Amino acid sequence: MNFAVLFVPDFALHALRRSDPSLCGRAVALVAGEGRKARVTEASPEARGVSPGLAATLAMSRCPGIALRQREPGAEVEAHRLLVAAAFTLAPRVESTGAGCCTVDLRGADRARTEALMRLRAAELAGTGLPLRIGAGATPLLASYAARCAGPVLIVDDPEGFLRALPLFFAEPTPEQEQILGGWGIGTLGGLTALPKAEVGRRLGAEGALLWERAAGQSTRVLRLVEPARSFAAEWSYEPPVESIEPLFFKLRRFAERIALELRGAGFVAEKLSLTLLLEDDTDHRREFRLPEPGANVEGWLRVLSAHLATVRTDARIAGVRLVAGPARPPERQEGLFDAGLRDPASFWENLARVAAIVGDDRVGTPAPLDTHRPDAFVMERPAEAVPPPEGAPVHPACGPTLRRFRPPWPVRVACEQGLPARLEGGRLEGRVRAALGPWLAAGDWWRPEAWAVETWQVELAVGGVYQLARTQGGWCVEGMLD
Amino acid sequence: MPGASQTVSALRSLLAARFPERTRRPCGGVSAAVRPVDDALGGGLPAGCLTELVSAVPSGGGQTVVARLLAATQAARQRIALVDGSDGFAPEAVPADALRHLIWVRCRAPQEALAVADILVRDGNYAAVVLDLRGCAERLLRRTPASAWYRLQRAAEGGAVAVLVQTQSPLVPAVPWRLVLDTPLSLSDAGVPRQAVADRLAVRTERSHAQAQEQLAG
Repeated sequence: MNFAVLFVPDFALHALRRSDPSLCGRAVALVAGEGRKARVTEASPEARGVSPGLAATLAMSRCPGIALRQREPGAEVEAHRLLVAAAFTLAPRVESTGAGCCTVDLRGADRARTEALMRLRAAELAGTGLPLRIGAGATPLLASYAARCAGPVLIVDDPEGFLRALPLFFAEPTPEQEQILGGWGIGTLGGLTALPKAEVGRRLGAEGALLWERAAGQSTRVLRLVEPARSFAAEWSYEPPVESIEPLFFKLRRFAERIALELRGAGFVAEKLSLTLLLEDDTDHRREFRLPEPGANVEGWLRVLSAHLATVRTDARIAGVRLVAGPARPPERQEGLFDAGLRDPASFWENLARVAAIVGDDRVGTPAPLDTHRPDAFVMERPAEAVPPPEGAPVHPACGPTLRRFRPPWPVRVACEQGLPARLEGGRLEGRVRAALGPWLAAGDWWRPEAWAVETWQVELAVGGVYQLARTQGGWCVEGMLD
Repeated sequence: MPGASQTVSALRSLLAARFPERTRRPCGGVSAAVRPVDDALGGGLPAGCLTELVSAVPSGGGQTVVARLLAATQAARQRIALVDGSDGFAPEAVPADALRHLIWVRCRAPQEALAVADILVRDGNYAAVVLDLRGCAERLLRRTPASAWYRLQRAAEGGAVAVLVQTQSPLVPAVPWRLVLDTPLSLSDAGVPRQAVADRLAVRTERSHAQAQEQLAG
C-alpha cells in the first residue's frame, strides 16, 4: 500500500448539490450546452430514467420536476479544496490529480492507522455531501483503479487477482485497440495481461505495450505535489444576495467542515475565528471570536457562530460571507512544570516512521556511543519521549575541533619521516603534512575473534585542513576531518 | 535615472508596505552557542526560516557549530534533528549527554536528505533541524531543483523551527541568511576547550536579506 487515490464520482454534480440547500434530496442533472442542444452530463440517483448524453428536453419529460443546472465552478473549487484537505490528513505528500481526484504518497505510513483514517474520512465526507471513494495500491495507477471500484475504501493487496476481472476500459484503450482486442475475445485486464507483453507490443506497437503496462497496473509516475493550506479561510458571494440566516448558516457549515480538515492536515487547531458579512451596500459586518478551547471541532465553531448570528441585524442584504480561522498548535498533552516532552506525539512518531521508510529503520534514531574505545562504535536507539535534563558539567570537557567522519574511511598512502606522517599520497587527499599529533594507540576485544587495534594520528596539511588518520593491519586511512 | 540598487530598494519598500506580514521578524529562535554565529544572526538561528552555513574551506568549523548547537539545545531541553546527507556525524565526538535529545537521520543521497528535511521541518516537535549537505556530490546537489528549496522554505515559514543548512558552497536560492566559514582551524586548536574554539571561528555574513527587510519594515 504505497499510494492512495481519493476519488469522487460525478464530482461536479455533488459539488453543486452540497453548495445549494434547495437541491438536497431532489432529482438534479447537470447539463452542458444551450437551448435544444443542451445535453445531460451528470444526473443524481433521484433522476430516474435520466442518464448522461440525454437531451435536456427528454430529461424533463422523463423525470418531471427535475432541476437542470449548469456547472458551478466556485462550488467545485470549494469541494476540491475539501478533498485535498482530507488527503493531507492521510499523509503530507499529496497530488491534486484532477477535479475530484487526489493521489497520496503513503510510503512509510502505518497501515492499520491509515486504513482506519481512510474509513473515517470517507464517512465524514459522505456526511458533507461528497461520496468519497478511496483506493490504495502499490502504484498510483493501481490505487486509481481501486478507487473507482471502492465502496468506500478498497486496499489492493493482490494486484493480479484484483485486475483479472476488471473491464478493459479501465486501462483506457483507444477505440481501435478496443476493437482489435474485442476481436481477439479479450474484454478484461486479466485477459490482456495473460498475453505476453512482448507479443502484444509486436502486434499493437508501442501503444499496445503501454496499454499492457496500464492493464497490469505497473505504470508509475512522479507525483506533482501540492502544498498544504497555509491560510485557513473561505469566502462565498451570494447571487442574488440573501436576507435570512439559513443559507448563510448552510454555507458557514460547509466552510467550517473544510477549514477544520485543513487545520487537522497541517497539524493545527483554531484558536480564533473571524467572520465577515459583506453587505449589498458595500459595507461589511466583522466580528472576531476567541474560542474557549482551541480545537478543530466543527459543531463547537458553529455553536459560537450561530449564537452571534441570531443577534445580528444588518441594514442591507448579505452579498457575501468570509470565515477565517486563526491557527495554533494543538495542546496535545499537559506538560509538567519541568517536563520537556513532545508537543504532538502522534505527529512525531508518524513522521519518524515516514523517515524510516525513506532511509531505512536502522538509519534513524538517537545515537548512543558504546562503552568501548573502538572507533565509530555506537547504536541507534529509539528516541526518548521527553528530553532529559542535562547532567552536570563533564569532568573532561570536550576540546578541539569536532570530528566529522568519512564513511567508509578514505584509503591513503602515508610517507613517514622520523616516525611522523610527513606526506599523504595516492588517495582523495594529498599533500605535505605541516604538523602531526599522535600516535594514540588503542586495542580491544582481544579475547574475541573480532579483536581490533588502531593507531590514530591528527595531521594538519600544508594546504589547510586538519584530518584524523588511522593505521590498522589493513594500512592507513583517513577517518575524517577535524572541523 | 535611478540606479539598479535604488530601484530594488524602492521595490522592497513597496513590498514591505503592501505585505507587512511578510517582512516581520521571525519570532523565536535557537542560540547556536557560538558567539560569532549568534552575533551575525542577531541572537541565534532564527525560527521560521532557513539559514545557510557555508564551510568554504576544509576544517572551517561547521561541525563544531553542530556540536555547540547540540549542547545548547540540550541545555534548553529542546529537541533537534540532524539530517545527515553524507552520513558524516561522529557520535563519539560530542559528549553522550548532548545526544539524548537528537534525532539523527543517516541519509545516502542529497535527495533523500531533502525529502526527510521536508517531513521533519513540518513536524512541530523540533526546535531546530540541521540539514547537513557537506560531503554530498556537487553534481547531485546542483541537480536539486530550486522548487525543492522553495518548498522547504515555505514549510519552515511561520513555524517555530530553526533550519540550518550546512553546505560546502553557496547552494540555497533566495536564502534569508547565508554565513560563510572561510578560515580553517589548525592543529594548535586541538587542546583548546571547544567553547573557545567555537568562539574564535571566523564567520562572514554573505547574505542577510532578513536584516534589510527588517530595516524596511521599520
